[in-house]
Amino acid sequence: MNDPKTDVPYGTLDLLILKSLDTLGPMHGYRIARRIEQVADNLLQLNQGSIYPALIRLEQQGWISTEWGVSETKRKVKFYSLTKAGVKQLKVEIANWENTTALVARFLEAKS
Amino acid sequence: MINVLRVIGQHLLALTRKKRLDNELDGEVEAHLELLEQDLIAAGMAPAEARMAALRNFGGIEQMKEIHREVRGYPWIEGFVRDFRYGLISLKQQPGFATVAIAVLALGIGANTAMFSIIDAVLWKPLPFPDPDRIVRVWETPDATIRNSTSTLTFLDWKHLDTVFDAVSVDERTTAAITTGGVPERLSGSLVSADYFKVFGVQAGIGRTFTPLEDQPGSAPVVVLSNALWKSRFASDPDILNRELVLDGEANRIVGVMPAGVFDRETARYWKPLIFAPEQMTRGSHWLDVIGRLRPGVSLEEARARLTVLRASLAPQMAAFKKNWGFTAEPFEQRLVGDNMRRAVYLGFAAVLMVLLIACSNVANLLLTKGAARRKEMALRAALGASRGRLVAQLLVEAWVLCLLGSAAGLAVAYLLLQTAGPVLAPYLPFTAELRLDWRVLSFAAAAAVGTSLLVGVLPALQTSFSRLTEFLNQGSRGSSGSSAMLRRTIVVGEVALSLVLLCGASLLFRSLVNLQRVDAGVRIENVITASIDLPLTKYPTADSATSFYRSVIDRVQAVPGVERAALSQDLPLEGVHGGELFGIPGQSEILTPRFKRIDAQYLAALDIPVIAGRGITDHDRADSPRVVLINEELARALATKFGIHGPAGRMASISSPGYGKQEGRGGMIQIAGVIRNERTGDLNAPLQLVMYVPLAQYPRTDVKLIARTTLQDPSGVVSAIREAVRQIDPNLPLADVKTMKQIKQQSLSSTEQPTWLIGCFAAIAALLAALGLYGVIAHSVVQQRKEIGIRMALGASSRVVLSQILSTALKLTLTGLMIGMLGSFAITRLMKTVLFEVSPLDPYSIAIASISMITIGVLAGLIPASRASRVDPVTTLRAE
Repeated sequence: MNDPKTDVPYGTLDLLILKSLDTLGPMHGYRIARRIEQVADNLLQLNQGSIYPALIRLEQQGWISTEWGVSETKRKVKFYSLTKAGVKQLKVEIANWENTTALVARFLEAKS
Repeated sequence: MINVLRVIGQHLLALTRKKRLDNELDGEVEAHLELLEQDLIAAGMAPAEARMAALRNFGGIEQMKEIHREVRGYPWIEGFVRDFRYGLISLKQQPGFATVAIAVLALGIGANTAMFSIIDAVLWKPLPFPDPDRIVRVWETPDATIRNSTSTLTFLDWKHLDTVFDAVSVDERTTAAITTGGVPERLSGSLVSADYFKVFGVQAGIGRTFTPLEDQPGSAPVVVLSNALWKSRFASDPDILNRELVLDGEANRIVGVMPAGVFDRETARYWKPLIFAPEQMTRGSHWLDVIGRLRPGVSLEEARARLTVLRASLAPQMAAFKKNWGFTAEPFEQRLVGDNMRRAVYLGFAAVLMVLLIACSNVANLLLTKGAARRKEMALRAALGASRGRLVAQLLVEAWVLCLLGSAAGLAVAYLLLQTAGPVLAPYLPFTAELRLDWRVLSFAAAAAVGTSLLVGVLPALQTSFSRLTEFLNQGSRGSSGSSAMLRRTIVVGEVALSLVLLCGASLLFRSLVNLQRVDAGVRIENVITASIDLPLTKYPTADSATSFYRSVIDRVQAVPGVERAALSQDLPLEGVHGGELFGIPGQSEILTPRFKRIDAQYLAALDIPVIAGRGITDHDRADSPRVVLINEELARALATKFGIHGPAGRMASISSPGYGKQEGRGGMIQIAGVIRNERTGDLNAPLQLVMYVPLAQYPRTDVKLIARTTLQDPSGVVSAIREAVRQIDPNLPLADVKTMKQIKQQSLSSTEQPTWLIGCFAAIAALLAALGLYGVIAHSVVQQRKEIGIRMALGASSRVVLSQILSTALKLTLTGLMIGMLGSFAITRLMKTVLFEVSPLDPYSIAIASISMITIGVLAGLIPASRASRVDPVTTLRAE
């Protein structure tokens, strides 16, 4: 609550989570948060806790599924993984993202 | 699409699994923090610092949990459910308030629902037949407003209009003696055409209805039973179709039984085909009432047009005096409900709506009072961040909980009311009216519940949102000053006003009723007993057989000890005269249509009806003597004003007349023997009719009424002796409808009495509710002002002064409401003019009674809190603050 962290729009966070799960396979919540932090490096200051609302939403949409497992500290935690629908959704999100980027790029380049 | 449903499902599921999901999240958060801590320690941080850094990195836990809950569920549903539960709990904590509020609402909504059921069944609901708007009555019309029965041949012409009608039938009331299956009694039935049930579109429940040939001459006698008759006299025999019903000694094969339902409420218990005898195939006697079903696609206007065309083509065959008569058809529904009933029902509904308004005001006031006391709580919550919207929502939901419970209880009240009132009202309602809690009624109940909730909840909610909540954080919990108290007083004044309107209405109705009870029936009411005797045509086929029966009956009944005089007539006073005939004066073109009533030589003396001019009817007026007629004062007056004839006794007139049994009547010239004083042939509040009286011996009839004037206080003491006397003449002739003239007068009054008492009840309830409202407001202000009262008393004011001050407040409120109510009364009671009998809507006595009642109630309501205030101990109250 002290540092003003940039709030990631939900849409982007979804993409990051799905991609991470796609790359690294099933992980628990902490692992996902750390992964996003690592890859983003300092481009992103994420409140790690904010990942859980995103995760429950993705689960309700049916793009990820959960399984109970054990963490490194011997605690019961949920492991999240992509579903088949999630794989499809990831492709859709990536395509959308690339379209948006291309569109914006075009506008930025447009001279006349 | 499927995904949307799935997501919604997940959200709803999340609401139900709240606890489990919260616990799981807690576990995940713990695990997450642990791991984060570990990694930080592994990276070199000190354990205490690591814990702090982990928490910082994680972000606000409680806020995240809040977001989690919002994301996974529907926060507004949760809010609603929470408010709902809170509302229920707060009601449970105040059982007194809750019971009163719910009871008041239940009474208001229940009464309204029941009343709506009645008005819907009588006036609005479509008749319980297929395509009920196709069912019509067909009449001959002497002029634009009068509806007349038709003759046999004309009916048959109508029947042949198959471009217009799908089915046409007659509908003639009849009675017959039945002995099968129980005590001999007279049953009411209907003589109908073969197509009768086709007109209504109804099939038999067991067996069949009539085939097209069964109303043709030569057809074997058949009968269809009503469901009620099958149950009562045949014990629901499943083998009913092999049995016979013996009516007036004739065996009729039972071909069908109607299903339970609409037709059970009809007076007719059986239906027989009406087979026309050859002597009835004329256009002279107008004796048939006709109903029909229009063909699909034929509109009412088309039907009327075609009937007019038919009339024109039949003109050469019609009697000369019918030159200007026409044919018309009108919807069957139109005649079912008389204007009186219509008005009574509307009046009842208006009254009960007012009661509901008063009830709602009371509950709203109660809530306002509660709200005033909770202002501190609301202000605190607003200060802590609750949005005004949330607070308003919570109050609204609390009001809704109250109204929901009140409505549910109201449905039970409505059901009970219908169960008890239904059988009582049934004789007055048309047979097509079904009093039930069907979906129409339930929708109304739901709408009433919603409306009530809005009315009741809006004011307290507004009170919260508009007031400056922060002020009340600092003040004491005083609720009696300021706009809220003003609002509550205004509401109570409104209640008193509405109450007064109802009281005025009820007063007027009661005065009306008293006036009606005082109306002179024109006949002797005391010590007179009456009965119906119907001679079966098969046993008394000729006019002479009937007249000889009359002589025997009068002789024997006169001989019964206790009987002073015995008489016979066609109809009884106050019950209407069924039948009118034509009455003309030679030389005058205008033809009158007075009622036609047959009486014997003893009738006038038995009922104390004086002869004003000429003579009455004597034993010398027999079948072989010259025909004579008596006219009543009204008819004499008509002759004077229309034809300038004064002293009609002795003059000749020409009349039409019905024949005996199925025979055609022969009219002719006849002498006016005398003029008698008016008797009330119809309802007490109906205008006097023009009536002509003929000797029963000269115009005999199969259905007659026996009248016996007795010396006994209770005339019914002679009934068994009279029965025996009649039995000795004809053992198969039961006496029916035995009642005293007093009972008949009472019956005639009861159609006015019932609605009057009902409105009176409503007015009483309204006044009671208004009193409760007054009491509530005054009591509350007394409680709030305890401190001041204490001070005043400590400073020397006597308890009587305190009492009178509080009473004067109560009086002020009552009088304000009275004034407003008076204005309202003047406006509204004018609408009642048609229902009132010899009472002006501005009748000062009624208004005075209503006003005095209201003032008394107001003062009483204020008395209790006032006396409590006067007993306040100044020491304790001052110490308490």
